[in-house]
Amino acid sequence: MRQLDRALLWLVAPPAIVLTALPAHATQYLSTEQAQRALFADANRFEPVSIAVREDQRNELKKISGTRTPLPLDRIWRAMRDDQLLGHLIVDEVYGKHEFITYAAAIDANGAVIGIEILDYRETHGGEVREASWRKQFRGKRSSDALELDADIVNISGATMSCKHVTEGVRRLLALYDIALKGR
Amino acid sequence: MLRRAKPLLGTLVEVAVSAATVELEWRAAIAAFQAVADVHRLMSFHEPDSDVTRLNRYAHTRAVEVDPRTYAVLRRARDLGRASNGRFDCAVGGRMLALGALPRTIGVGGHEAATWRDVTLLPDSQIRFRRALALDLGGIAKGFAVDQAVEALARCGAEAGCVNAGGDLRVFGDRNWPIAIRRPEASGELVPLAPLRNRALATSAGTFAPGGAIVDPATGRFRTRPKSVSILAPNCMDADALTKVVWLAEHPPLDLLERLDARAIVLGPSASVSESVSELRRAAG
Repeated sequence: MRQLDRALLWLVAPPAIVLTALPAHATQYLSTEQAQRALFADANRFEPVSIAVREDQRNELKKISGTRTPLPLDRIWRAMRDDQLLGHLIVDEVYGKHEFITYAAAIDANGAVIGIEILDYRETHGGEVREASWRKQFRGKRSSDALELDADIVNISGATMSCKHVTEGVRRLLALYDIALKGR
Repeated sequence: MLRRAKPLLGTLVEVAVSAATVELEWRAAIAAFQAVADVHRLMSFHEPDSDVTRLNRYAHTRAVEVDPRTYAVLRRARDLGRASNGRFDCAVGGRMLALGALPRTIGVGGHEAATWRDVTLLPDSQIRFRRALALDLGGIAKGFAVDQAVEALARCGAEAGCVNAGGDLRVFGDRNWPIAIRRPEASGELVPLAPLRNRALATSAGTFAPGGAIVDPATGRFRTRPKSVSILAPNCMDADALTKVVWLAEHPPLDLLERLDARAIVLGPSASVSESVSELRRAAG
């Protein structure tokens, strides 16, 4: 029975209260600048790229990926070392039923994914992330204006967080790359 | 404190690290993610070149040499298979394939009656199967990956850190980490635990995965009891594997938990925490 007593100790140790309907568990990881450095360590310059996508291309992209968030047309950078193009960095957003994820993807000059960094992970329960108003409050927020206190970040064990939506998002970015970014 | 997260092992892997300098934190985090990526490469059931795939293709015909890390996981899997009377069984893949819970890979077929006893560990990191089987390290490799990442952080001189691979986590260093368990229902309520220090916590929940992806080796069928099992243990590999053992057990395997310095926390479908404790106590008789 000793183990049970110890298990009990763990359970009733303060604060043994059940947080009901925790509105939004959120973690901010990297800023866009940190992600740029992490994914393109050799770059010494990042140039914003602006691209336009025609209506038929938009529809094409919708067919390729289930991702419903707006295309990240104004969050694309060219990673340069002096005059050499190393690749592109795109900051994109995806959402599932309960989670809303901002991530950065690095694509090399041959169109292959170099790496992915999660920038923000936000989730809500008892509420659908599909609601635009819920997502809007996080738009444009970056680690630079984070209210992050490490002591307050709860490390959660339990239901596996899926990276399915990030995978779908990356698929859309690669298609976007082929359509509008290749060679630019 | 640097916090990064990347999609790995089919989930999001988070690394939090604290070190003397920002440079050290970055170096440690890079090493930790590399350690996780290595485990993925070696032990994935799906990667065509992984040790697991090579074993499943050839180990019933000849001895196959694997990476020392794969060998270490197989040794632990064997020990836990024995200690749990087969409740933990890394050879359950054949039965999972039969149920359609694992995708059929060309060249990988498993005998449905195969068990962990059919996996023979030979010297020099060599493995031989006694018959064709579908080895699946999904129930233990994620915990091992977390352990490897934590070791990488420490090796790089980090003072403290937390590695969380989709809910299987381990913390180290001279500090307390706030911890909670997510309830296995859509409500997603968080059950806070006492802060964790130098320990691992893994959770398996039966209701979230489609069909409840834990197969009972005894019957070859899914067990879909709607609850979650969390294990606190010194390392995440044991914690990960023990969640399955406790989840499947008719009675909590108290001796095994004691021996591995582990504790189990069982959450019922909608029971409060205290009710869960009485459930555990009732179950223990």
